[in-house]
Amino acid sequence: MAESCGNPAAEAGEALMPRKRRFDRSRTCVKCKAQQGNLVIRHSVYCRDCFTPLVTTKFRQALEPHLNHTSAGPRRGALKPSGNLLVAFSGGLGSTVLLDLVHQVYCSKVGSIELKGGKEHPRKNRIWRKIYVCYVETSDVLPEASDRTQRIREAVEEYGEFEFVPVRVQDAFDRSWWERVSGGSVPNPSELSVDLSNEELFRLSDTEAHPDPLSALQAYLHKLPTPTAVQSTISILTRVLLLYTAYSIGASHLVFGTSLTSLSISLISSISQGGGFVVPQSIQEEWVPSSVETSQKSTSWRGEVRLIRPLREVGMKECTAWAWWHRLVVVGKQKVPAARQTIGDLTKDFIIGLERDYPSTVSTIAKTVGKLAPKGDAGGRCIICELPTQRSVQQWKARISVRSFNEEDPSATTTAAPSLTPWLCYSCHTTLTSKSSRSNTSSNPGSSAAASAVMFPTWAAMHFAIGSSNPQATDPHISTADEVWGTRKLDSNGMKSLVEEFLVDD
Amino acid sequence: MAALNLKIEFGGGLELLFANQRSHRITIPRLVVQDGATQRSADINFLIHWLKDNLLKERPELFIENGTVRPGILVLINDTDWELEGEGDYELKENDEIVFISTLHGG
Repeated sequence: MAESCGNPAAEAGEALMPRKRRFDRSRTCVKCKAQQGNLVIRHSVYCRDCFTPLVTTKFRQALEPHLNHTSAGPRRGALKPSGNLLVAFSGGLGSTVLLDLVHQVYCSKVGSIELKGGKEHPRKNRIWRKIYVCYVETSDVLPEASDRTQRIREAVEEYGEFEFVPVRVQDAFDRSWWERVSGGSVPNPSELSVDLSNEELFRLSDTEAHPDPLSALQAYLHKLPTPTAVQSTISILTRVLLLYTAYSIGASHLVFGTSLTSLSISLISSISQGGGFVVPQSIQEEWVPSSVETSQKSTSWRGEVRLIRPLREVGMKECTAWAWWHRLVVVGKQKVPAARQTIGDLTKDFIIGLERDYPSTVSTIAKTVGKLAPKGDAGGRCIICELPTQRSVQQWKARISVRSFNEEDPSATTTAAPSLTPWLCYSCHTTLTSKSSRSNTSSNPGSSAAASAVMFPTWAAMHFAIGSSNPQATDPHISTADEVWGTRKLDSNGMKSLVEEFLVDD
Repeated sequence: MAALNLKIEFGGGLELLFANQRSHRITIPRLVVQDGATQRSADINFLIHWLKDNLLKERPELFIENGTVRPGILVLINDTDWELEGEGDYELKENDEIVFISTLHGG
């Protein structure tokens, strides 16, 4: 038996692998090579004194190349961002560390012992006209959650340099919020009500309006098919609210406190829900309202917002150490409670376990996913999440899946109501329609459409209203007028007659 | 000395499981009996179980899992990562300061 593992010296039962060391080489810091290490980061040892500049450098390397509107090329010139900075703050560990780093790097006071004169002069670091911090309150739609806006405000205002911008997640359904952020430039759209019971997502007319944004949002979340869908939706709404807020306050850069660990979690979770096409956006994303995008192109800044994650190379363990050693108080993030676990929760448990046992793998996930380039062109923007949609993804879906149990009459036309499906990306469509086997929504096709009716967020209603009224200017992926190829569904007899001459007689 | 005095601190939300108290001063035996009758010096593994049995007020599954701290908890021994000190096998000394920080408050 001992020969089977190729090691004759090992006796049966003792041929165990020696326990892998948690760090390479010695316990001395790999940077200064002088002091004893205090922290192990993915097998490398760092002392406390070298740890702080290590994290600060990673932060700056991830953020500063993207600050100037046009890149200076290999020679780094002065940093001159076009607009203000908006820091997205969730109250969690990453956000807290991010805010502290932004303050340390860009708001240092004159006379700080860390900065000297000349190139290091404190004034050199004041590259932002104004720094805002935005928090999206989600407690109104989470059971047993408490409102944290005031605590967050106090934590932010302690720094003294930031302007706090509170937003509530239900603002996504609030027309007065929409008027504020769009500056009145876009007329208020009529409400967009959609039937979630049918995969085609038909638009409904004549539905009762909700009395307030909160009840509209609560109804929307209540009718989603799975807890995973609820978690994803809150995340999507938060992100789009932050983008519009950034645009409305003249911010050219929006930064998130997504750590390396959180990034790996969200990439895997997103890919498993159909978000593979927008994986490059996790590295670099530039967004502007669609009304500005379709207007004349210009080389100067038109209000575009660059979404950046400066902590993408800083793991959760490093964030924890930073928060501890710099005595930061973490308010904490709202957890979305679910009776059954969501894809996001399961992914998080998996990756956090991985980070403890095999720390390099978490870094590998983010780096490898960052190298992926999706196949195919973008065919416009999803009206819910405002990310690029993949052209002809619905045709692909139709080819690979069984859509219904019945043999559909191929010549039957659909109802006169327009379908929202072509306006959504694959991920958002899946979020709205993908039911689990234990889903609480009725899968009975006879259920009334009104019972499954939901209102879409205000920006979605706006995109749909503008797009429907002007088919030529809309997203190419929904225009089939100049398509050369058409598709037509055949029943089984039709299919047989096509291949009959090739069939071999028994 | 038969007993060890230690300073224990909890951070990152873990203090909520320990009577909402961040800092604790405790005394544990210096030598402990493992399975069988062999005596060995108290180590971090012993401390984790001792904390669960004597100080933890609720939700033990958020602190301890498979005989060690749950993934996502950073342990510092005298301001140094426990991975540099041998993790659970580190033998405790008088006046050691052990910090348990949860990384899971979100973000």
